[in-house]
Amino acid sequence: MTRITLTVNGRKHVVEAEPRRLLADVLREDCGLTGVHIGCAHGACGCCTVHVDGSPRLSCLTFAVQMDGRAIRTVEDLGGTEATHPLQQAFRRNHALQCGYCTPGFLMALLPFVEAQVSAGQMPDDDEIREAMSGNICRCTGYQGIVEAVRETIGDALAAKTEAAQ
Amino acid sequence: MRPKEFVYHRARDLDHALALLAEHGEEARPISGGQSLVPMMNLRLARPDHLVDVNDLGLDEIREEAGALHVGAMVRHERYLTDPLIRRHLPALLEAVHWIGHPTIRRNGTLGGSLCHADPTAELPAMAVLHGARIVLASTAGRREVAACDFFKGAYMTDVQPGEMLVSVIFPCPQGAHSGAFEELGERLGDFAMGSFGVVLEHEGGVIRRAATVCGGAKMTPIRLPEIEAALQGQTLAGLDAAALGDRVTGLIAPAGDFQVSAEYRRALIGELAGRALQRARDIALNAQP
Repeated sequence: MTRITLTVNGRKHVVEAEPRRLLADVLREDCGLTGVHIGCAHGACGCCTVHVDGSPRLSCLTFAVQMDGRAIRTVEDLGGTEATHPLQQAFRRNHALQCGYCTPGFLMALLPFVEAQVSAGQMPDDDEIREAMSGNICRCTGYQGIVEAVRETIGDALAAKTEAAQ
Repeated sequence: MRPKEFVYHRARDLDHALALLAEHGEEARPISGGQSLVPMMNLRLARPDHLVDVNDLGLDEIREEAGALHVGAMVRHERYLTDPLIRRHLPALLEAVHWIGHPTIRRNGTLGGSLCHADPTAELPAMAVLHGARIVLASTAGRREVAACDFFKGAYMTDVQPGEMLVSVIFPCPQGAHSGAFEELGERLGDFAMGSFGVVLEHEGGVIRRAATVCGGAKMTPIRLPEIEAALQGQTLAGLDAAALGDRVTGLIAPAGDFQVSAEYRRALIGELAGRALQRARDIALNAQP
């Protein structure tokens, strides 16, 4: 067993973990963050995407021991149980989910993309959005609603920026 | 599934990593991005007893030296997309990077990891073979260089010996005016390739001085096609019949079929991709002509 310290969603967790334990399992079982979903456990589906020091990473391809001292962010930190984050709200409005199993992964993979587009002040075309989410698989809704949710989130943020500037 | 148990070592520097690899030999594997090794471990296709984490080693330089780019083993794929040296010298590689996995994989996966994993249709192994790269391996006994064409021994098999670690790759830069292109087809964006084809054309005054080609998916390792390269050499860019050369490619390869595609389909596919890659490399070169 190895003792590791993770800062998860701003809270410090000290965990005793076997080296072979995946970050995804430690987040779910030791930290109680069951929004981290494990679909395939070999890097094909993207469901387990979390942020490590702000950058998306597949928590099923990461051993928790490798993350000692790092800051992890999971979907729980976006908009809480009410899912109040603008991207989550846009998912709801645009029917971007049905069963919702893949949704945390899509949100965590897409959020840095959305933020980068907003800070660059640009609206990506659909191909760019689809490329940004190409590592995530949805098996029920399909992708069009998700593309629309991303476009709407970026559009709203850009409009708010313009308004604030005026 | 989950991996079998192993001992985790975090190497402080290269000497420490090499000492650990020497100590544990065949039972040890270096881990960096983990984008290929961890899936293999989760599926228990790889069962190392020791993992040597090399994430603190640096080894992430891209530098130009004596007509070649020296690329560190820890360079993560996404770096190529914005690196000016790659853009200038290795345009075929730049195109190939877009086909590696998807954004999260490209952000975390490394050059050393991709080459040592040696998936038969992976893009970076193909680029190493295309450019005649030299692979630099280090161990406590010293360093050695292996030509890319000798490095890949088969599907998921390389020349890396127990105790060795890939530390950098030397890509000779194409000389003079040059263009490059890469074509691939997979079932979906980011999927394993069914086939791929890469080409570099060095040209002068509208004539091809030297050509390099690589074919992914034709064999268990990426292969060059010397017959096609010889046919290209001395040709004018304007007179290059890419589609005819693509047809010739199909006559030179005998790929295997698998669960995705039949051997016949893959053969035709690679020929088609070759034609398209050659056509684009030609067009890029012609458009760059003064």
